[in-house]
Amino acid sequence: MGAGALTCLMFVVIALNAIAAAAGLALFAVAIWVAVDGYKLYPISGVSGKDDIFAAAWIAIFTGFAFFLTCIYGIFAALKRSRGFMMVYLIIMFIIFLFECASAITAATNRDYLVGNSNLVKKQMLQYFADSSTQGKQITQTWNRVMEQVECCGADGPSDWIQYNSTFKQMFGSTYIWPLSCCKRLSTFEVEDKEGCMVGKASTIFPKGCFQHIESVLSRYTWAVSWYGFSVLMLVFFTLVIAMIYYMQLE
Amino acid sequence: MNINAVIRLMSLLSLWMRTGEGQIFQPELTPNTFLARITSNTVMLKQPYCVFDQTCPDCEIWLVAGLCSANAIFDAQVNSSTPNILSLSPYPTAFNSSSNNFFLTRVGLLSDFPCNQSSNDQYFVVGADGKCSGINCNGELPDGFSVCFKYLLIYTNETLVNSSNWSVNIDLPKLLNLHNINDGLSARSGAMVVITSILCAAVALLLLLFFIMLCITCCTKKESKEISVTNSIRIPRYDTHDLKNRVHPYDNPAYQSDFKNYSTANTLPKDVTQKL
Repeated sequence: MGAGALTCLMFVVIALNAIAAAAGLALFAVAIWVAVDGYKLYPISGVSGKDDIFAAAWIAIFTGFAFFLTCIYGIFAALKRSRGFMMVYLIIMFIIFLFECASAITAATNRDYLVGNSNLVKKQMLQYFADSSTQGKQITQTWNRVMEQVECCGADGPSDWIQYNSTFKQMFGSTYIWPLSCCKRLSTFEVEDKEGCMVGKASTIFPKGCFQHIESVLSRYTWAVSWYGFSVLMLVFFTLVIAMIYYMQLE
Repeated sequence: MNINAVIRLMSLLSLWMRTGEGQIFQPELTPNTFLARITSNTVMLKQPYCVFDQTCPDCEIWLVAGLCSANAIFDAQVNSSTPNILSLSPYPTAFNSSSNNFFLTRVGLLSDFPCNQSSNDQYFVVGADGKCSGINCNGELPDGFSVCFKYLLIYTNETLVNSSNWSVNIDLPKLLNLHNINDGLSARSGAMVVITSILCAAVALLLLLFFIMLCITCCTKKESKEISVTNSIRIPRYDTHDLKNRVHPYDNPAYQSDFKNYSTANTLPKDVTQKL
């Protein structure tokens, strides 16, 4: 290969590495956003033992930063026109590629277990809401917050509390059919119409279910890790193929 | 023929006018669409306005709540043991296997429900007291059964003045066990399949290309292996014959004219410098 074409290829490798470094840094940032869990829905996946979305986010934090560092090293290796450096770069990039694949696949798969349909979330709510164990307290706190802020009741609707036996029914069933978080409140946080809420008057209770909100948040986390990770991996795949061609043309 | 038709019409009209006044002679579900109108343990009934048209100042309206299969049992017991109606079937043991399967609970004074104040916004919840222990408490109903209700007009000395008809059958839904909810995997989403398959293919392809690259670089290295020559080799100069102070036979005489360009006095053999 002529010297001019080799220089051109070197610039292509450097440019792709620069873009991949920026993409890796962005993956690092997005994965931190997921791990921080601004919507505070971690207990729903934590109590059920299926918190791999957050585990995948942690892996993506490390691989994103590792992509950033390795791609900068790759720019240096390409400038040096050294086969040894390029080989080291290729091996390290391949290892990070494998870990990032694992992260993307784990997040996408685990999301299906958690929020494929509303059954798991509903069962967990019925079992742990108003329970006095540590998991029960976490779930109760999470659900109360969600029901009050998103203005919803139950997983699919208030009828969940009527149709199923639940810990809440065991403890408070004689007084309350559903938690007071299901009731509409005034701006002073007082319940608007407690009697009406207890019988399910349509204007005093939140009629829609909370599952849609929970599903959309967890899906948002998952797509941030897995789809964005997937796109970074496709860019890195292309970069590695060009780097391998460059390696073969060296010396 | 005409007179019969007129009489029939008049009776129908009077019946319509009677119901038009709101006089329904049996307990009814509240017409509002409350979400908790019928739960597995409670039922919301309309309050008993306009059920009894007697004017009885100290009378109370009581409700008989029980399984519809026990309607006949209650009617038989009422006819036979009139003085002890209210303690016929205490609530705590009402729904045991060998029991009467009904209980009585107080709704209110007859004077609290005058016909002209009838309102559909008022309701009476049967089962509001939950699992209570009083004889006539408003305890919860058993889930999964058909229940029927009847109003009784009771005088203060526990004598039965009047009783309404039985209500229609109201089916209570069976309370579902939360442990029967199947929370396993429902379905794999398309996104997951796409991501997994494409990423696995990409990893395999990268590995393949990597090994091809290694093979190509190793093969081309073996074919064009040249002996690398260092720039200068120092060979000690051996004189096999004793040639001191004589013209060295190993020096090429053709280049002797160029010796000034390429050599210094130190490097030339001694006899050539003597010539100069």
